[in-house]
Amino acid sequence: MQVSQEKRRNYRPLVSSKTLQKTMGRYYALTNYHRYWGKLMRRPLAWVTSGAPVELLRAFNIHSAYPEQYAAIYSARNATVNLCEVAEAAGYSQDLCSYARSNIGGVLRPDLAPLGGMPKPDLLVACNNICGTVLKWYEVLARHFDVPLLVLDTPFLTGELTTQAKEYVLEQLNAMVTDLEKITHRRLDEKKLAQQMSLSREITSLWIETRQYCRASPSPLNAPDLFINMAPIVVLRGSHEGINFYRKLRDEVKERVDLAQGAIENERIRLVWDNIAIWPQLFSFYKMFSEKGACFVTDTYSGGWAVEQAPGTPLESLAATYTEVFLNRSPKYRANQLINLIKEFKADGFVMHSNRSCKPYSLVQEVIRKEVIHETGVPGLMIEADMADPRAYAEEPVRNRVQAFLETFDDL
Amino acid sequence: MTKYFVGVDIGSLTVKVVLINDGLEILGQLKTRAGYSGKDVATRLKEQLLAESCLTPQRISATVATGYGRVTFPADREVSEITCQAKGISHLFPSSRTIIDIGGQDSKVIKLLPNGRVGDFTMNDKCAAGTGRFLEVMASALEVEWPEIGELVSSSKNPTKISSFCTVFAESEIISQVSAGALKSDILAGVCDSVASRVASMTRRTGLEKDIVFTGGVALNRGVVNALTKQLGYPLLVFQEPVITAALGAALLAREIHKSSI
Repeated sequence: MQVSQEKRRNYRPLVSSKTLQKTMGRYYALTNYHRYWGKLMRRPLAWVTSGAPVELLRAFNIHSAYPEQYAAIYSARNATVNLCEVAEAAGYSQDLCSYARSNIGGVLRPDLAPLGGMPKPDLLVACNNICGTVLKWYEVLARHFDVPLLVLDTPFLTGELTTQAKEYVLEQLNAMVTDLEKITHRRLDEKKLAQQMSLSREITSLWIETRQYCRASPSPLNAPDLFINMAPIVVLRGSHEGINFYRKLRDEVKERVDLAQGAIENERIRLVWDNIAIWPQLFSFYKMFSEKGACFVTDTYSGGWAVEQAPGTPLESLAATYTEVFLNRSPKYRANQLINLIKEFKADGFVMHSNRSCKPYSLVQEVIRKEVIHETGVPGLMIEADMADPRAYAEEPVRNRVQAFLETFDDL
Repeated sequence: MTKYFVGVDIGSLTVKVVLINDGLEILGQLKTRAGYSGKDVATRLKEQLLAESCLTPQRISATVATGYGRVTFPADREVSEITCQAKGISHLFPSSRTIIDIGGQDSKVIKLLPNGRVGDFTMNDKCAAGTGRFLEVMASALEVEWPEIGELVSSSKNPTKISSFCTVFAESEIISQVSAGALKSDILAGVCDSVASRVASMTRRTGLEKDIVFTGGVALNRGVVNALTKQLGYPLLVFQEPVITAALGAALLAREIHKSSI
């Protein structure tokens, strides 16, 4: 999710991007050299899904690395096709998620992966609140590395979180504590967990505040800014470095609003984005919009990390917060979420990325699109692509749709 | 002095050029295969059309280009074929609310607002099943000329079933049906049903609202028109020259753009 800022010529560059690069650079260096310090510091390395309760892992002094995040980097650095081909040659279907395929490809051929691939994990933690694929994907990893796999099963919420669902997840979190105590040979430090929860609350509230500034017109940030700047909230949640970065970003974004500086020149169309970024085309794709004065003022994807913690004891809070993530909820909930974003951010339209890889995000989009158009009266475009695999992106048809969509805002 | 406007549609298979005047009359239209360079073909067609109408290039007040080759063609503006198609069709059929356009490699459904503007649209993606090219490949596998399709299909009593979406697989499926002794007319009817079924589901997805206009090269094919009418359960309006409606829309937009610039 950290992509070179040099390519962002048609955007107003963020000064805080230097801090971002430094913060993330340090994180990657620490992660990739884990073998030198992990044992010494008694800090095991966990590969975790993006929706895993890392606050609990941090309380056990576990260092987390995110295959999904590395997969986004592989994609931004044009390595996904090679890595996917490795996984496909090993028998994995092209219909499988491209994050999973490129991660498995990187495990089999680290020499083809940027950053030399991911460092070997000591344990794996998968939570199915984001999708079901992670279960089988992480089982493959557990067999390959012969390390423990901890799974958190969050039941799909058709409506609100029920007491049974919450208790079911809470029970698993308690079991996870026991497992982590065995793996780390440490008792759970309640005080440290509370401290992690508090740091996590702080970083989340900074990310929420920063995003709220985009209600201003012109918006101080565009979708690529949101996607690039979400990296620390994903991987450094509950860390002081992460908080320091988001303070800087918040201050800069606030200043942009005070000075009425937009992320793009001449903002005239405000849009909401739905689904994961198209990483391999991050700049060329969004440029088709920005050069016509269309700015993505908010999105559901990086907004997935702008959710306040649920109340209760730390474990109760984790159980509710991680079960209530938007991808684990009904189409009705997701339609309302988009409707509210369109109203709150005074958007003129929305764009949905039908992401070949991400089935839970994409399968219900057409139903949601119709509902949102009906409720808000603004137009909604559907683009077919993939978050990481450029082979699923057909530029000319995409350009055609984008142009036709933007023309509906003109007087043609 | 009368003003003239040109619309150029450089599609994946065919190039179309339409000339109109200020009074919205279609003064001429030409079409031919796009070949290797759609831009060169379009330039030649435009020159030919002007020559036939005894007009010098200077007499053209504005030109709008559309279609896949729109970016390469020197025009006053390039506009997507969705907007052009909407403009052309709402001019020809003011009561239209749904456009089904099947071209060379695109099939699209456009929902029109009462003011003739685009409300919503759906297009095929990455796959050319249900498009003109699909029909062409199948017709060629059966050694049938394009104009014969409609008549052959109308004589079919037991259309075969083409289950493959993929053009290449569908072609092999047809070859198997030929080997199994199926009649040419029945296979072709199956092909038309297959195109119609794919486009009908796209139409329902976008939302079916009367009047429905069917346009694009495939609208010339009676086999598909009949199959689609049957599947949708509504009559379809077809312009006598369905291939040129996007180019006509482009010419109409050229006129509007010129008017708003003065």
